[in-house]
This record gives sequence, structure tokens and C-alpha cells, in this order.
Amino acid sequence: MKRQRALAAYALGALVRRRGRSVAVAAGLAFVVALFASVLFLGDALRAEVEAGARYVPDLSVQRVVAGRPALLSTDITTSVRRIPGVRSVQARVWGYLYVPPISANVTVIGASGREALVHATLVDGRAMRAGERDACVLGAVLADALGVRAGDEIALSSDVGGASSRTFVLRVVGTFRDGSALRTADLLVTSDANARALLGVAEGFATDLAVTLTTPDEARVATEKIARLVPGARVIDKLLLRRSYALTLDGRGGLLTAMLLPALAALLLLAWDRLTGLSEAERREIGVLKAIGWEVSDVLSARIWESLIVAFVGAAVGVLAAYAYVFLAEAPGLAGALYGWSALYPPLRLTPQVDAAQTLALVVGVALPFVAVGLVPAWRAATLDPDRALRGGA
Amino acid sequence: MTHEAAAAIAESPSDGARVLDDAPAIEARAISKRYEDGTRRREVVSEVSLVVPRGALWVLRGPSGSGKTTLLGLLGAMITPTSGEVLVCGEALSRLRDHHRTRARRRLVGFVFQELALVPGMTLTENVLLPLVPSGGATAAQRAHAAALLERFGLSAFAETRIERLSGGERQRGAVARALVNEPPVLLLDEPTAHLDAARVIDVVAMLAALRDEGRTIVATTHDPRLAESAAVDRVLDLADGRVVAG
Repeated sequence: MKRQRALAAYALGALVRRRGRSVAVAAGLAFVVALFASVLFLGDALRAEVEAGARYVPDLSVQRVVAGRPALLSTDITTSVRRIPGVRSVQARVWGYLYVPPISANVTVIGASGREALVHATLVDGRAMRAGERDACVLGAVLADALGVRAGDEIALSSDVGGASSRTFVLRVVGTFRDGSALRTADLLVTSDANARALLGVAEGFATDLAVTLTTPDEARVATEKIARLVPGARVIDKLLLRRSYALTLDGRGGLLTAMLLPALAALLLLAWDRLTGLSEAERREIGVLKAIGWEVSDVLSARIWESLIVAFVGAAVGVLAAYAYVFLAEAPGLAGALYGWSALYPPLRLTPQVDAAQTLALVVGVALPFVAVGLVPAWRAATLDPDRALRGGA
Repeated sequence: MTHEAAAAIAESPSDGARVLDDAPAIEARAISKRYEDGTRRREVVSEVSLVVPRGALWVLRGPSGSGKTTLLGLLGAMITPTSGEVLVCGEALSRLRDHHRTRARRRLVGFVFQELALVPGMTLTENVLLPLVPSGGATAAQRAHAAALLERFGLSAFAETRIERLSGGERQRGAVARALVNEPPVLLLDEPTAHLDAARVIDVVAMLAALRDEGRTIVATTHDPRLAESAAVDRVLDLADGRVVAG
């Protein structure tokens, strides 16, 4: 241990003496690690958002499709669906998109009935809506930012029915959702069921969809078939299939990006190999000096391993930190579009930092180990020469 | 082997080298060194045999290309002979495996290169302590010894000065200090007076004589008559074409 400490201190000094080269190599490594880590972080954060969102998705969502377009459902079928074996509960939901001119964006309006769990679970600022509270709302944090409001403020929204029938509602913002739920709450406006109906133009007796909870997920296939027979034009969305689709999409895109980055890694390793197999004259002489003053081959190699390890881990650490800043502070310009897909989310999605430590460690080790290994070959060649030849720069 | 001779064998704790107390400091037995460059073979040192007694100051003299630096490297186990063997303090270093030879050399031989081979970017003290790094760094006693060496050679004021800021003479004394930090019984110097003015040469000769008088065995190469013809030198061997031709 004492010997290794002394050799590590020597290696650190050697790196400082050759600081230009050390910084250049570490920067190259940091760049490659940052590229890969960015894809990992972004994918992990999106997966976490999807998983978090899935907790609030019903086992089955039943929509009605007319001429290929979503249409409103009659709430009369709720009772029939509830009678299907394996169905525990059915909730008729009112939700839809409302254009808000001041921010030139659509927001998602949800009637509060049945959403209490979500409201209570994720509020960070202010409070949840109370039962029967009419002129109140809870906003996604991103939407609140875009509107420039916070808990306690009031907002005015016009209903989406158009023409003379359009009404303006003044709602008090009683709370905002925390960032951790950004993917599903960023553009969300939760208000009373009556307000949601009025804003979206959904008449009593109709709903946007049905949220079906099953006694067990195994019932999904049978329940889906029965609902399809019961509701003409029904489109039934299975939560498990939805989660699997998201996971496959993210994994596929992440894998594609990673594959695209592999040439960058290969290029860096080739560059490192090229640089390191040709030890500089000064380095070869230094190894000769060390041998001449009584260092063994194993001492020289240990010192070189320490040098490579320090460069590799500093480079990798800088790369990981840069990737973290790029993804979670700068919101991954350029890369985000590739992973999100064709859809542009508005208001902008703010990802909650989510890092898989094991995966990140594997990345760091995966880059550092080959780097250390390629550095050993030329050092071994120089260290096994007679010190006199190494001093004279013998090959 | 007599009982007395056997008793004189000391087992080294780390390198397995056996040191005979009554053996000569250096013994070369018909050593040769050949280099091969493609189809061309060049013998730089040919069949040299010599015995350097303990506590002697010897000089290897000869023109450039005479093989004196290679011979010095062979005597100090810096270079592996093509044939023959070298014994330092009774131990056949040239027969040892590389790591044993390196450890034995670290303990038995201090070497000062013509180019001094100090590491630029490091301070003088760091350079002097460099041989001690593989054994876990310098102990307090070794640091004190290094400081004493620097003081002895008039370098205390430059202890924390980087090598590249020192004069040629200061660097050379620093290289000698580094060669002595392990307190080896044998000190080998390659052209120690090269590029030095007359006053500095006198200093170097005095320094070598003082080290010899302390019991160290010193062998230096030179083509400088100011060193070779100094009264302090015990013996001069003349080399030509890799052979000892006089002395």
C-alpha cells in the first residue's frame, strides 16, 4: 500500500509535468464519456418519467372511435362495463385539450373526479383541490411558469365551444405539481369536473374515456374482448402494452444513438493507441532514468497504470458531470429531439435527474480499462529494455 | 568454500543477491558486448577482464567510440553483456533475472550518466529521492540523508529548485547526490568532467577523492586529461576499440 501510494504520487507529478498532453487525452475521454452518458441519462430520465406516469394510468382505458377519430362516450355504458367479470371499478373521465392564446399552446384540461390520488401525490406548492370546489385549479409547474402564475393567483380561460356560446372562467390556482411528475403534468390543468365539461364542451352524460381498474392484470385480454363487444367502436388501451411500447421505443432509440456513437469511441481509442504506442522521447528517457536508478519493470508499469487510471477516471468523471449538466441543466439540445421522437412537447418538458449508478459505473469502467490497457504496451516495451538503451531512446 | 568465506556471505533481504565482504568491488570476467544492426554485427566491448578493489578510484580513458561508456554500463549492470559475467561485491549481477538484478543494482551501484539523466520538471530534492519511490518513498532518515548530501555538495539552497533552473555544475552534483542516496558501495560516473571549466574539474576530482576516502569504490570514464592525470586517481585503464590496451 505504501509503495502504491508513493507510485501514485509520482504518477500524479508526472501528469502535472506533462499537463498539456494529460489534459488533451482526458478531454478526449471526457467527450466520449459525455456522449454515451448523455444518451444513458436522457433514456433513464424518460423511462423514469414513463414509469412514474404509469402508476396513475388505469389498467384499461376505453375510448370510442368514430370514423377513425376519438369521440365522446356515453356514460350509460359505465354500469355495463362494471359488470364484466374481473373489472373492479370504472370511472368516466372528462379531459381534453384547450388552446390558450397568451402562451400559444394547447394545455391538457382534466376534470378532477377520480384524479384526487394524482393531485394529492404530487403537489409541491400550494394545496390539492377540495371536493366540490368549483372555481379552483391545479397546474403543471411548466404551465404555471409559462403563464407566469403561482399558487394564489387567478387565471382566466375561455371555453372551447366557440362563437357566442364561448364563456370565460376565472380559476384560482391553488397548487402546482412537482417537477418529478413533469412528463404527465407539465401542461396539465386540473379543475372541477363541471369546469372541465364547460371548458371542453362535454355535455353531462358523456365522457372522454373510461378508466377501468381490474382485479388482476391477467384479466386484461378477456376484459378487452368483452368491452369491445359491448361498446361499438371501442378502442381499449392496455396499460402493460402501453408501458412496453414506451420502453421499446426509448430502448430502440437509445440503442440506435449508442450505436451511432460507437465510431466516436473507436476513433478515440485508436487515437489513444496511436499516441501511447509512440511514447514521446521525454517519456522514454524518463523510463530509462527510472530503470537506471533502480526501478523495476513492475514499478515502471505500476506508475504508468496510475497515470492512465488518473487520466481515465478524471476524464470519465468530467464526462459524466458534463453529461449531467447537458441533459438536466441545458435540457440536451440536439439529443433530446432524437430520443423524444417526432413530437414536440409544449410547454417544454423538464426532466427530473435520474441516474442509474451501475450503468454509469459500467460506462466509466468500459472506457477506462481499455485506455489503461493500451497505455501499458509501450511502457512495458520501454521498461524491459536495458536502462542504457531506454535512456538513449532505443526502440 | 572455507568456513570463513561462507560466513562472509550475507543474504540480501530483498534481491537474493549474495554479497561477499572480502570480494573485490567489481570483477569483470571476459565480458563482451555486441550489437546487431540488420546483418551488421558490431562488437563494442571485447573480452574485457578486470578487478577493481574496494575503496579505489579508477578511470577508464579513451577516445570517443572506444567503448568506455558501454564498459561502464556493463560494470554497473546497466547493460547486459553478450558474453562473460560481471560481479559487484562478489555477486554475479549479469546472471540475475531482471528484477533481482535491478534490486541488487539499486543497493550496490550508484550511476551518474554523462547527460546526468535528471528528470526535468522535478525539483532537485524530488530527483534525489526518486530512487526511493519504489520502496514506498523516503523515510524521515532518508530525507535527512538526502538533505545532508545536498548540503555536502553545496546544493541546500537549490533543494526545491527545478532541475532546468540549475547550472551544469549544480546539476552534476545533484546527479551524484542522487546516485548516493541509497548509500551504494560502488559509484560509476560517465564523463563527470565533460563541459566543466578548470575550477569545476578540480572540485569534481576533490569530491571523487573524498568519496573514495570514505571507502567507496569509484570508476569514471573520461577523455579529459585533467581528471585522468590527477594524482587522486589510483589507476587509469586505456581503451581502444573495446579493449583495454594499457593500464
